Amino acid sequence: MIKTLLTEDLYIEHLKASDKKEAILEMIDKLEQSGKLVDRALYTEAVFNRESEFSTGIGMGIAIPHGKSSGVKTPSLVFARSKEGVDFDSMDEKPSFLFFLVAVPEESGDEHLKILSTISRKLMHEDVRKSLMQASSYEAVIEILN
Amino acid sequence: MKYVAVTACPTGIAHTYMAAEALQIAAKDLNVDMKVETRGSVGAENELTAEDIKQADSVIIAADTNVPMERFDGKKVIVVSVKDAIKDAKGLIERANNAAVQKSDLSDQVSAIKSAKKSEQKGIYKHLMTGVSFMIPFVVAGGILIAISFAFGIEAFKEEGTIAAALMTIGGGNAFALMVPILAGYIAFSIADRPGLVPGMVGGMLAASIGAGFLGGIIAGFLAGYVIVGLKSIIKLPKTLAGLMPVLILPVLSTLIVGLAMIYIIGAPVTAINVGLNNWLKGMSGTNSVILGLILGGMMALDMGGPVNKAAYAFAAGSLVAGQTSPVMAAVMAAGMVPPLGIALATTLAKNKFTIEEHEAGKAAYALGISFITEGAIPFAAADPARVIPSIMLGSAITGALSMLFGCGLAVPHGGLFVLFIPNAVANLPMYLISIVVGTVITAFTLMTLKKTI
Repeated sequence: MIKTLLTEDLYIEHLKASDKKEAILEMIDKLEQSGKLVDRALYTEAVFNRESEFSTGIGMGIAIPHGKSSGVKTPSLVFARSKEGVDFDSMDEKPSFLFFLVAVPEESGDEHLKILSTISRKLMHEDVRKSLMQASSYEAVIEILN
Repeated sequence: MKYVAVTACPTGIAHTYMAAEALQIAAKDLNVDMKVETRGSVGAENELTAEDIKQADSVIIAADTNVPMERFDGKKVIVVSVKDAIKDAKGLIERANNAAVQKSDLSDQVSAIKSAKKSEQKGIYKHLMTGVSFMIPFVVAGGILIAISFAFGIEAFKEEGTIAAALMTIGGGNAFALMVPILAGYIAFSIADRPGLVPGMVGGMLAASIGAGFLGGIIAGFLAGYVIVGLKSIIKLPKTLAGLMPVLILPVLSTLIVGLAMIYIIGAPVTAINVGLNNWLKGMSGTNSVILGLILGGMMALDMGGPVNKAAYAFAAGSLVAGQTSPVMAAVMAAGMVPPLGIALATTLAKNKFTIEEHEAGKAAYALGISFITEGAIPFAAADPARVIPSIMLGSAITGALSMLFGCGLAVPHGGLFVLFIPNAVANLPMYLISIVVGTVITAFTLMTLKKTI
């Protein structure tokens, strides 16, 4: 199921970015290359607008930036890992290592939103976070989130 | 310990669910009960029932968007941002134990009941009420402006170029003229969404111009809505042409069908019924009109803002004609004011038969009563229906009958006591006031007799 959202070309083994803005833009690049966006600017604006409400860095090494926008063609999820960590203005003021960028069109089926809500719930569990940190391939990440 | 919680965030995609999970994990660790309602972009899931809330010791609201709060009245409630639940769910649960008890006043309760009723509405009744609720502001705006025109003298509007004439043109000629089209349009909108508006409003316009009135408008609205639904299921276009459906095919075909039906099939018989009904109302006098007042009055009190009340109200609003006062409208508004007023009077007179909360609520009920918000009686009726509903029905029915008997009339569809100050808006004002007072007193004394001392 989750494979339809997080396709293999949206998996970033090593995020190059070193700050929050770069990190988000690098992940949006992936979405664009993969043809998931119809209007990059529109979606980017939605993500940063959401970020300005309060940071999606939820602490515990995880950030989950997201945007709901008509600039999105198909519901998608980018997964990225940073070795050095990125300062994401997280709630616990510690750097983030794992990133989930969520893209949802304005009109989206409940089915996709349900998958995303399940992933969000999973990230609250310590054992899930631990195994994600250790996972080293696309398949392994899918396995954990499924 | 048992807790209930609600989580919600701006986009409703991630944080809502993370907060919910964090609370559940923390509850498990602390070995307490926790049910979490999530209000994300999928809508409300795992919704809290009245029973859940009743059993809960404390309520946690972790939300950055609006959450309906009235249902937590009388509970310990803590309200925080969604991120606080993610950050420190355990601490939040502990803080919830010492939270302050939420209290809302009568008007909040009334609006909660109103919105709960709205969400319960289904099918045909829901469509009709959608139309009526969009129409009422037009009726009120038009009606009040007409009433102000009367303030310059009952026939002042006949002189061209005066402000009275301008007000009559705005209120009577235009706001009132939109009533039936809006009613029909939004009935269709409720059934078929946006495409329903065009055939609905055009059908309503036709109903008004051929004299089929409200009845014709209601029929046009339902016809338009279901024509759209039908067309959508019949016409299947290839994807490349699908864009033509909403801008060209649906509006043209549906308007053609509804328009022709109104003119050639529905128009004549409905117009005949409408004219007959109006003549019957106009010709009614003496005993018959008193009986009508009695029935409509009782209907206004029976369910206080529910379908029976709205049916009586819609009937009265339909009897309004620009530039005239309507006896039916007068009876209905007076009867609608009596339930909260009568109950309020009872709480003032018989302090030993009501709780302290009811005394407080009674004060607010005066304000709701004089504003013609019958729903102000609901909290009392809900607590003790067997004693309250008969008392208010009796008072309202008598008020309705008296208003008819005295030949009172009203030119506006709403406004409660405040419109009575507009000169000429009410025919036979002194007796109108007496009708309201008599019903109020009867309700109050009946209720005081039925209620037991506490």
